[in-house]
Amino acid sequence: MSTPFTQQVSEQIKQAISEKRTLQVAGSRSKVPVEAEAELICMQENSGIVAYEPSELVVTVKSGTKLTDLKAALAEHNQMLGFEPPDYGDSTIGGTYACALTGPSRPFRGVLRDFVLGTKMVDGRGQELTFGGQMIKNVAGYDVSRMMAGSKGSMAVVTELSLRVIPLVDEVTYYKEMSEDEAIVLMNKMAGTTLPLSGCAYFEGRFYYRVFGEHPKQYDATPCDNSVWLTLNPFQPKLGHNQKLWRVDTEGPHPSIPNTIAVGMCGQRRWVVSDEPPAPYSTLWQSYFAARHNDTPAISRIKSGLKRVFDPHNVFKDL
Amino acid sequence: MIVIQELIEAFTEGSVIADTEQCTPYECDGLSAYREKPLAVVLPANVEEVRAALRICKQHKVPVITRGSGTGLAGGALPLKDGIVLGLSKMNQILDIDPLARTAILQPGVRNISVTQAVEPYGLYYAPDPSSQVACSIGGNVAENSGGVHCLKYGLTVHNVLSITVVNMDGEMLILDEKDDGVDLLALLNGSEGLLGVIVEVKVKLLPKPDTAQLVMAGFDSVTACADAVTHVLEEGIIPAGLEMMDHFSIKAAEEYAQVGYPLEAEALLLCEVDGSFDQVKVDTQRITDILKNSGATSITVSQNEAERIALWQGRKNAFPAVGRYSPDYYCMDGTIPRKRLAYVLEEIEKLSQKYSLKVANVFHAGDGNLHPLILYDANKPGELEETEKFGAEILKLCLEVGGTITGEHGVGVEKLDSMCHQFATPELEIFHAIKAVFDDSGLMNPGKAVPTLHRCAEVGQMHVHNNQLPFPELERF
Repeated sequence: MSTPFTQQVSEQIKQAISEKRTLQVAGSRSKVPVEAEAELICMQENSGIVAYEPSELVVTVKSGTKLTDLKAALAEHNQMLGFEPPDYGDSTIGGTYACALTGPSRPFRGVLRDFVLGTKMVDGRGQELTFGGQMIKNVAGYDVSRMMAGSKGSMAVVTELSLRVIPLVDEVTYYKEMSEDEAIVLMNKMAGTTLPLSGCAYFEGRFYYRVFGEHPKQYDATPCDNSVWLTLNPFQPKLGHNQKLWRVDTEGPHPSIPNTIAVGMCGQRRWVVSDEPPAPYSTLWQSYFAARHNDTPAISRIKSGLKRVFDPHNVFKDL
Repeated sequence: MIVIQELIEAFTEGSVIADTEQCTPYECDGLSAYREKPLAVVLPANVEEVRAALRICKQHKVPVITRGSGTGLAGGALPLKDGIVLGLSKMNQILDIDPLARTAILQPGVRNISVTQAVEPYGLYYAPDPSSQVACSIGGNVAENSGGVHCLKYGLTVHNVLSITVVNMDGEMLILDEKDDGVDLLALLNGSEGLLGVIVEVKVKLLPKPDTAQLVMAGFDSVTACADAVTHVLEEGIIPAGLEMMDHFSIKAAEEYAQVGYPLEAEALLLCEVDGSFDQVKVDTQRITDILKNSGATSITVSQNEAERIALWQGRKNAFPAVGRYSPDYYCMDGTIPRKRLAYVLEEIEKLSQKYSLKVANVFHAGDGNLHPLILYDANKPGELEETEKFGAEILKLCLEVGGTITGEHGVGVEKLDSMCHQFATPELEIFHAIKAVFDDSGLMNPGKAVPTLHRCAEVGQMHVHNNQLPFPELERF
């Protein structure tokens, strides 16, 4: 269904096509630096909850809605987002989706796109499109809503998202001092048990784990507050001059990588200071995120083909 | 034909079936009302043979229909008479199990259940459990994004796959991984029904096997009361592993078949299962029992041990064959609806049942809104199959009307092409066709399935009004 906002976006896109200009989609500008001369599609006014049925476990939200507002609305009904998105300061749900950002609970609850059920968007022709819906199970048509998570505003302006939500749980954190290698093995062993885990990390000499619900205490660990998860999500360490930080995605039990300063997500996420990419699936973490651009030729061809499907006039800036 | 000759030369003896009679087992999948004999069936033993077969077919412009175990319920693996069937049943090896990382690497022909069997010694299992799990293959599961009865808690196939390798018509290999940057191609391939690539390897997530599971069974004197009870359970923050509803006809049929003590007087039955650690299950079972009592359950049974739990499930698990005993044939639908609209939808289905004079039984995955009406018919009565299909299509329209979808887990295949015209308008359908062309510019991979052509939608004459505009204004109407 068309709204004044989507009509306005559609007009802006059509105008830009006719004048051969490019556009950049911007939410709260908390993650992507905006060039001074860039023409923006501003999403902040497109905010608010469209529909929320707690007992159906689904919320439909406009993409410019701030994470803090969305989380507060869910918490009123004892629910939350399952992908624990990092908040870089007024981050929006749309920007989080565009960058496909998931927090520490990923190994246990899944990644952002796992929770995406449907989207409304305006494509690079200014055409309004709807994919998916509000149902947890839906296999009609290609899953464009999940595909577009991570597309960084390069294919379409996503204006509305329907998300699966989960019950809010009380979580407690424990820590134990040990070596990084020991911690990596231990966290993966624990994840293979029925302990109700929602986080496993290694930071500054300590193995941290987070649990919810009924659980016995493990390994003489010491209880602590939950603040370490906010330190790691988003992870924004102070770096020395000329130092480069890499976000490495890997197998959980992968042995420790030299110069790692934090291990998150049960070992599936490593933060490494290095001049060169320390492993496959490394992303240079500049200005919060940067594209990886190391696809094989076949994958590059498919990605640029998909870009043309949604944005044939190349009106959206590639990031 | 040259293409068959080339395939025979490229493959070992017995791997290419060109004899019409021997092609018979491949003429349909689980939707047996539709049948077609292919040009030939090719049974590759490894990835190199898949690549070779695809290159030969591309060269001769011959369509390729990929087939796993042929258990699909929407005709996704229905052959084309001018195409070959690429059967992946020989590629059935588990290539690697990593208990510490909790992952397994599988060839596409591995049966779903054998993954769980193979990893059981490590205390792990593979969560998605479509009802055909003893037969269906993991490659087919990815192609269909298969569900099961535990989706609400553990997700569909897409939530449990970490990486896949696919081959395109040029024989090129693509590795799509959850760790990839940018657009999520792995998510796109899940549920793409064999139109975008041939899946030749799958890496899946394994989960720790729950310590225990307990089942609470409750009868209700109305469908509304039962649906409300489910709402109350979910509102209390409990996510059951299984949450199944059955209507009166299903309860009666299942009890006659399995004799497990289902309450025959109940209008609706709820089976609610929780799993996890012993402590958590004990707490959740008590809470659920209290909630169901307060929601007006007319009877409550709690499984006291594993044998009882399995016995109580027998009725639900045999609901299809049980209902099937009432009639020579039945047709299983697969819509999804918001749970709050269940009572309305069941009333409307009952009206349709009277209109078509065809009986219908309903089973419902209440947690995720997936409704499976079973329409009873007799294929030997002239015209009854056609009437049944019309009835089914009206049910799917009803699902859309209340904000649901035409298929929750079975896929579109050939079966729901017309219903796709109701769910999607021209722009979205055009995007789907363009996506296919990016992966398969020759259009040879499972052509004609999953996404209807715009002409078909115009001919179906569906009046899907999008943005207050008539659909397909560019097409002539007859």
